[in-house]
Amino acid sequence: MDIAVYGIVNSISLALVALGFALVYGISRLPNFAHGALYVTAGFLVWSFLRALALNYVLSIVISVLITGIIGSLIYRAILIRIRGMAISEIVASYAIGLAIIEAFRFWGFKGMTYTLPSFTKKTIVIGDVPVDGHRVLVVVLGVLVMGSLWAFTHYTKMGLALRGMAQDERAAMMLGIDSDFVALFAMGLGSALAGISAVLLLPLGNIVVEKGYDVLIQALAVCIVGGLGSWAGAIMGAFIIGFAQIIATAYLGAKFQMVVSLLAILFVLILKPSGLFGRQKELEERV
Amino acid sequence: MNQKERRKERLDRGIKVRCDGIYALMSLKEISYLVLPRLLLILVLLLAPILIPGHYWERVLTIVCIYGMLAVAFDFLSHYVGLVSLGGAFFVGVGGYISALLNTHVGLHPFLAIPIATILGALICTLLLMPCLPLRGVYFAIATLLYPLLAARIIEALDIFGGTDGLRGVSGLPGKYTPVYVLIMAALLFIFGLRRLVNEDMGLVLRAVKDNDQSVRASGISVTRYKAIALFLGALGSCFAGAALVHIYMWAGISLFALDFSILPISATVVGGIHTLVGPFIGCLILVPISEALREFGTLRIVFYSLILLAFIVVKSEGLLNYAQRKYHQFERWVEV
Amino acid sequence: MKKILVVFCVSFLILGLWVSGSYAQKPIVLGLPLSTAYLYGWTAEKGVRLAVEEINQKGGVKVGNETRPFSVEVIDTRDLEPGVPVSEALMAVEKLILEKKADFILGGPVRSEAALAAMPLLSKYKKVSILSTGVLSPKYHETVAQEYDKYKYCFRIHGEAKHLVKEILMGFEELRQKYGLTKVFVMVQDVAHARAAGEIISKLAKEKGFDVKGMEVFPTGTTDFSMGLMGVKRSGAEIMNIWMDMPESAILLKQWYELKIKALPFGSTLAAAEQPGFWKATEGKGEFTLCNVVNAGNAPSEATPWTMKFYDSYTKRFGIEPEGLGASSSYMAVYVLKDAIERAGSLDSDKVVEALEKTDMEGVYGRLRFDPKSHQVIPAFEPKEGAVGSILQWQAGKRVVVFPKSIAKGEILLPAWMKEK
Repeated sequence: MDIAVYGIVNSISLALVALGFALVYGISRLPNFAHGALYVTAGFLVWSFLRALALNYVLSIVISVLITGIIGSLIYRAILIRIRGMAISEIVASYAIGLAIIEAFRFWGFKGMTYTLPSFTKKTIVIGDVPVDGHRVLVVVLGVLVMGSLWAFTHYTKMGLALRGMAQDERAAMMLGIDSDFVALFAMGLGSALAGISAVLLLPLGNIVVEKGYDVLIQALAVCIVGGLGSWAGAIMGAFIIGFAQIIATAYLGAKFQMVVSLLAILFVLILKPSGLFGRQKELEERV
Repeated sequence: MNQKERRKERLDRGIKVRCDGIYALMSLKEISYLVLPRLLLILVLLLAPILIPGHYWERVLTIVCIYGMLAVAFDFLSHYVGLVSLGGAFFVGVGGYISALLNTHVGLHPFLAIPIATILGALICTLLLMPCLPLRGVYFAIATLLYPLLAARIIEALDIFGGTDGLRGVSGLPGKYTPVYVLIMAALLFIFGLRRLVNEDMGLVLRAVKDNDQSVRASGISVTRYKAIALFLGALGSCFAGAALVHIYMWAGISLFALDFSILPISATVVGGIHTLVGPFIGCLILVPISEALREFGTLRIVFYSLILLAFIVVKSEGLLNYAQRKYHQFERWVEV
Repeated sequence: MKKILVVFCVSFLILGLWVSGSYAQKPIVLGLPLSTAYLYGWTAEKGVRLAVEEINQKGGVKVGNETRPFSVEVIDTRDLEPGVPVSEALMAVEKLILEKKADFILGGPVRSEAALAAMPLLSKYKKVSILSTGVLSPKYHETVAQEYDKYKYCFRIHGEAKHLVKEILMGFEELRQKYGLTKVFVMVQDVAHARAAGEIISKLAKEKGFDVKGMEVFPTGTTDFSMGLMGVKRSGAEIMNIWMDMPESAILLKQWYELKIKALPFGSTLAAAEQPGFWKATEGKGEFTLCNVVNAGNAPSEATPWTMKFYDSYTKRFGIEPEGLGASSSYMAVYVLKDAIERAGSLDSDKVVEALEKTDMEGVYGRLRFDPKSHQVIPAFEPKEGAVGSILQWQAGKRVVVFPKSIAKGEILLPAWMKEK
């Protein structure tokens, strides 16, 4: 029972972290290695508004998520747009941006372990016979809500349809009059905002430290690979596979194997089914 | 916009055209046109340790060579064979650990341990990466990214090879100038060896693997076999770099698998110019000393470093060497269209 | 491109001018290879700076006939950061020695792996080093003892894991006598020194008659401890012994509070709980957490007359109390070094090593002497006998030292939900 409950919590957290990365890659084929840095940025923004400017918690969350989204689009507009299509340059450039952001935070004094956000609720809920703290329950509920609204957005609004069109075939989308640069810009903004949302939801569980930026990036990559790069539904499934694999490994093998298990899982998926368990299969493109 | 559009026209210099053919040996001028750039690199590298003041920058040069070999291996694998490997750290770690183990447990002298570790390490890396070889493009890249992470976690979880404390008591390289010259020679050998190789018959097949593997397969050549050979060659250089690093700092530990060993060579390749083999080395020659000089800035160092890197990528996205080569071989003029 | 280059040249020039020309006498250079972005790094830097300022104000260090001031060179080693190889930290140490012409190395490197890796380098250049923060691995002084001639330049002035284990066990003993707690669960981070310490403590606790319910190893970077905590709950353990220096340990403590686990968190190394800001950071959920700050002076107590004097002047100078491991020990490292240089009458490494071996002075955390074979500071439970540690408990927003008894300022308390049985 506790495996089921905490497996779900863990999986939803992973899915939240990975969603923004999957979205950007899915739409503009841009591996955004600054994803982790944006995650941390959102955390520190909320902290600054809340503690330094003494704003209302909800208000500071909303503002921070918006600002993170804007920062993301600015990064795209100012830098990444110039090197689109050069895969390695994209990776190195976005990684360098991420590094600069993370280290700049460190320089401005955001170091140590005392930066935290208050949790949304202090209650503890018992599911079955497993006690779960209220915040984790909220993370699951809100996480599902975020995914649901994202699904609705991409299926029922014009902008959302444009995003999907671009993801399916950029040239065809351009022929239909979709401004691909603008859509990519928007996607990057949305992806960054998603990174911000996940940060806001997950960071109150622990503390805000800059190193989280690196961890989050690796988690997001792992989830997206298992699920299939570029597939959004796949990213969510991938999160569940890794999430449960980790919890089960902890329960039966001991906590020290949880990283080994998840990395091995990814490697096997890659070797056996390169485009991920739920990726669009193009056998000839992925192996010889 | 003016009414008249202008366009840059590029033409090969006469001397380049002449030297492309068999007439290269016609005059001293033409010989030096070909030889000078290469000689320049070799001479600079050979003289640098003597001319540079202070022992410290000499050590930096050693590190440049180590990263340089990693970068050259990356460029060779990704731009000549099409195997974009994000796991450079894996080769470093394997080479380093084997050499350290041979030295501490078997008691081999570093000069014996390093070559054995180079060859053995390259073999092991090739074998371990075999299952990934059929993967293409980004899938291979990500699979290789996971190898060093996994290796570090396994050593950590199983507590083998000294666990997280690492191996100590590794003997250093004797002599004041030995380390730096050993590495310079190795790096030069590696660069020019690979340059020769990619222009031989085998290089043609390798490049074909990158450009159109289906046609290679259609010609009855095993793609995987050639990829494995190329991987082995690339791993040779990287494993050597790892083994040398271990003996220079007299230490081996799981941070040999650190992400920096994968990322920095890639950055150097982008800065120096892809598809040139020498370019990545020059990239290291620029990036590593910059990173050292920036130490004065303390925590801000990485910020500056990333920004400089970013500037290189955005402003000169083709890479320095590609740019320099164009200037060297061609002249440009504006023409009105 | 050109603009960037110009900016760089100018900034280097300014920096160079600023560094040179500040001292008339040739200063003694103290090189500090520290991971300055982390607690154990910046506490050490502040400790050293405070001591150097005090000493220079009083005129400096007597070397033979002349008095020379100290000067401090800090280099960021980044050795605690993930993804950064140890060779980076080693480069920093080499830069201090070769370029900054450091006469002595103090403080770090902070991570055990890096500090151990730096030992051959220090002996290669014959530089005396006093380690004063971060590294707890007993391997460090064991290595010195094994190959004394090679590694005799390495000293360590803060406590090490083996002594910590003794202190922790005495803490357990107190809990047993006072509250009848006997069931222990060990939680460690997946790094060699923590794991080794966890195993030792399990073994020793069993010998002392404690019921050790289990040991769980968590990989660095774990963000959800619920499964582990469930295990603790099921096992019925009453004491949770924690060995973690990763920031995520704050998650562990928050979850502990939220799940109301009936086991007292007893941190041996628990970096997150050392800092004065911990209370606010956990919204008070960290109350009752016990944690070992390794040396007295890192939390308020009266081990020696010097302790509170140090504590107050540190607070005054930096506007923050000494935050944890590294502050008092780095401060003392400078004084011990000054004392040794004055007795040796020269900066010669071998002579200073000899003088350091004969060190015997009363410091911030008790009497300071080095073991002549392993160069480890000699620990004790009485400040008159040797270097004392400190275990503190968070009580109503304050760090209260509860152990050792000789310097304790309060008693160990239990949370309300543990009292009702």
